[in-house]
Amino acid sequence: MSAAVSPIREPLIQGSKTYHQITEDICSPTERTPSMTWIIAFMVASAGLALYVFCLAWTIWVGIGSWNLNRTIGWGWDITNFVWWIGIGHAGTLISAILLLFRQRWRTGVNRAAEAMTIFAVMCAGQFPLIHMGRLWLGFFIFPYPNTRGPLWVNFNSPLLWDVFAISTYFTVSLLFWYTGLVPDLATVRDRAKGLRRKIYNYMSFGWTGAAKHWQRFESLSLVLAGLSTPLVLSVHTIVSFDFATSVIPGWHTTIFPPYFVAGAIFSGFAMVQTLMVMTRKVLNLEQYVTLEHIESMNKVILLTGTIVGVAYLTELFVAWYSGYIYEQFAFYNRVMGPYWWSYVGMMSCNLLSPQIFWFKKIRRSVFWTFVMSIFVNIGMWFERFVIIGTTLARDYLPSSWSYYVPSWVEIGLFVGTLGLFFTLYLIFSRVAPVVAVAEVKQILKVAGDQYTGPNAHKAHHAKGAGVHH
Amino acid sequence: MNQYQIDGKLKTVLLGMMGLGLLCLILTFAYDDALHTRFWSNYLHNAVFFTGIGFVSLFVMAAFTTAWAGWYTVVKRVFEAYSLFLIPGLILMLVVIVGMWGGLHHLYHWADDKAVAADPILQGKSSFLNKNWYTFGTLIIMGIWIFFANKLRTLSVEEDMSGTPDYNHHKRMRIWAAAFLPIGGFTSAAIVWQWVMSVDAHWYSTLYAWYATVSWFVSALALIILTIAYLKSKGYLEEVTVEHLHDLGKYLFAFSVFWAYLWFSQYMLIWYANIGEETVYFRERIDNYPVLFYGNLLLNFVLPFLILMRNDTKRKYGTLIFVSLVVLFGHWFDFFQMIKPGVLHTAHEALAHGAEEGAHHGHASAPIGFLIPGLLEIGTMLGFLGGFLYFVLNRLSKAALVPKNDPYLEESLHHHT
Repeated sequence: MSAAVSPIREPLIQGSKTYHQITEDICSPTERTPSMTWIIAFMVASAGLALYVFCLAWTIWVGIGSWNLNRTIGWGWDITNFVWWIGIGHAGTLISAILLLFRQRWRTGVNRAAEAMTIFAVMCAGQFPLIHMGRLWLGFFIFPYPNTRGPLWVNFNSPLLWDVFAISTYFTVSLLFWYTGLVPDLATVRDRAKGLRRKIYNYMSFGWTGAAKHWQRFESLSLVLAGLSTPLVLSVHTIVSFDFATSVIPGWHTTIFPPYFVAGAIFSGFAMVQTLMVMTRKVLNLEQYVTLEHIESMNKVILLTGTIVGVAYLTELFVAWYSGYIYEQFAFYNRVMGPYWWSYVGMMSCNLLSPQIFWFKKIRRSVFWTFVMSIFVNIGMWFERFVIIGTTLARDYLPSSWSYYVPSWVEIGLFVGTLGLFFTLYLIFSRVAPVVAVAEVKQILKVAGDQYTGPNAHKAHHAKGAGVHH
Repeated sequence: MNQYQIDGKLKTVLLGMMGLGLLCLILTFAYDDALHTRFWSNYLHNAVFFTGIGFVSLFVMAAFTTAWAGWYTVVKRVFEAYSLFLIPGLILMLVVIVGMWGGLHHLYHWADDKAVAADPILQGKSSFLNKNWYTFGTLIIMGIWIFFANKLRTLSVEEDMSGTPDYNHHKRMRIWAAAFLPIGGFTSAAIVWQWVMSVDAHWYSTLYAWYATVSWFVSALALIILTIAYLKSKGYLEEVTVEHLHDLGKYLFAFSVFWAYLWFSQYMLIWYANIGEETVYFRERIDNYPVLFYGNLLLNFVLPFLILMRNDTKRKYGTLIFVSLVVLFGHWFDFFQMIKPGVLHTAHEALAHGAEEGAHHGHASAPIGFLIPGLLEIGTMLGFLGGFLYFVLNRLSKAALVPKNDPYLEESLHHHT
């Protein structure tokens, strides 16, 4: 890592931390009894989880008929939620792999929590295609293996099957990546623990001793996993977009879908990271590790990807007109002016228009606005998927089959329930593992700590600006 | 040696290339069909290709500036010089525009009033595909690009002269650069539709503009690597080390893969949905232009992917120069593939309508110069390349090679991957 640091870069670790203080600050939340805020949050989240289990049981017991799907609207809230969650599950691997390749040091402050969030979001996403099958206990039919049903093979030509492979691979690699990064930190927690707790953390950290050989193996494994996850993170939402774009349905069949879905996924993923980090840094007192600089950088990514998504929306709209293909033109007319116009307005205003306020530095660095905007983007990206799925299917080929789809309470309950699942997992994670990567933050201390770089460092090293040379 | 100067020998070579290009254009014009299709399509192809390199250099520079990229500071002046090619690029495109108004060429199906009158699809598009939009769209959009290119360049050169410890120039550049990103993002799509996609006036694809832009980006990277290698061979750019080269190589690799990703996304989705109005684009290329269709993939994906996959090939001049030459030609070839079949089809239709009786539809194999690039095309390309380099190196010699007051200079000087 380059030791020269430009004087205009802001420090990423504040409070003149020593290595010991970093350990202390980040590991101690796992060692205290939970705060009242945590307990209340956990109760709310697990109530959501209970709702999920209830609605799931209801769906299985009563059947898919308990949802408001019909002949033409075969995909409703279920697949909307699936795409929404899987999109959110992109930020973690993006931060860990792609920002690593781009040597963005600010990733170290948020990568751990983002990766954890990715895994939980993918778990939530995976629920929906399974439940949507109706007979959940036959879910294993999606795997291709020689079977006694004929043998009846899966359809290898179907992008839905490619999804199975893409998402399961992505989940596996993301989990490995996350856990690999956790190993040295779990060992740090272990070294501070006693009794049974020490035994558990020792087990979880694979007996890590911090030997040079361990670090060497760790580095090469991380590199291999980063190399694998970079194409993977792009492939997942690409293949999700294929679910729609390979069809001949006007509004779904459009070639820009793959890169546009990926940009949208990064967009919504970062929004969810912001939602979580704004709360986490406050509750766990991590403001000196997840600084305003981190928040500002993520807001810039949100502005960028939001605008890319906006270019894609307008491209689609323009080319629908340009194509001269009346069904395509109608599909888009229907999106904007049809009965679901409000969801199109929601999508456009939350995804393209409102992030533009991040052109102002003051707002990019405002915790309040960041939180508000992150919720806006989460809502907007949900609308985007609903626009694509709901409005298109509600008015497809035969006008006699057109209808207006409204979700049943079961469908709403399942969605709210996955939020419960997600937050329950995240809250547990914040109790058992360091939510900021201790070892990785220590690695950048000498180049990004505020005693070494930035305006305060001037006072300490009044020789030649803030460029620290080693 | 922080001040570049074009030496006499290079000047002679570049002027020779331009002369060769001119000769090839004249020969093409002389031995052409009645509409001078080969001449005009060669002209459009090269004008679009090199102007696009100018645009994308500006866009990438704006992106690097916005993203606080430090590593590239020592090669930044090359990007700046490239972005200024937009000025001669506008002149090149003006020739196409003048030709259109003067009825000198038949590159665009939609510019033919008689054809449009008989074609409901073209009528539907005529509020975008028309001579006014083409003219004023090009003028306004390129005018904006040139304004930003000049602005960033001026600030950067001023920073050399009067840079202050509070990096005031850099801060201003950052604002201009960030403002350019959405502007460049939206306008480049419109330009690609007008200049390139509309040669196949009936066909459309939402991904097309991004595909073409990434093709430009890889070309620009390849040419920038070659320029840097040349400058270093002459003893300039001592500060540029194998580490910078490695990063440029990574970009070349990554964006070659990204190009392939976009190629695949566009092709696969159209193939899978199998809608005749869309598949015709690829059907035409696979059946009648197989060298272009498969060669495109070989040059722009297979070769750079296999060669640059290893770590060391990105750190050696030999392999990196070889790959840069391959993909530079490859993406020129890609634009050839984008433009030629559509233009030839339009010309065939127009010629067939001109001679009503002798009209034969379902033309035989396309001639050289369309089927594959012939010697005249290679010569024309060298001519444009000579002109491009002559202009760009000239701009490069007008400022110091290393911007000494750039806030990231130290980072770039001590860069290692």
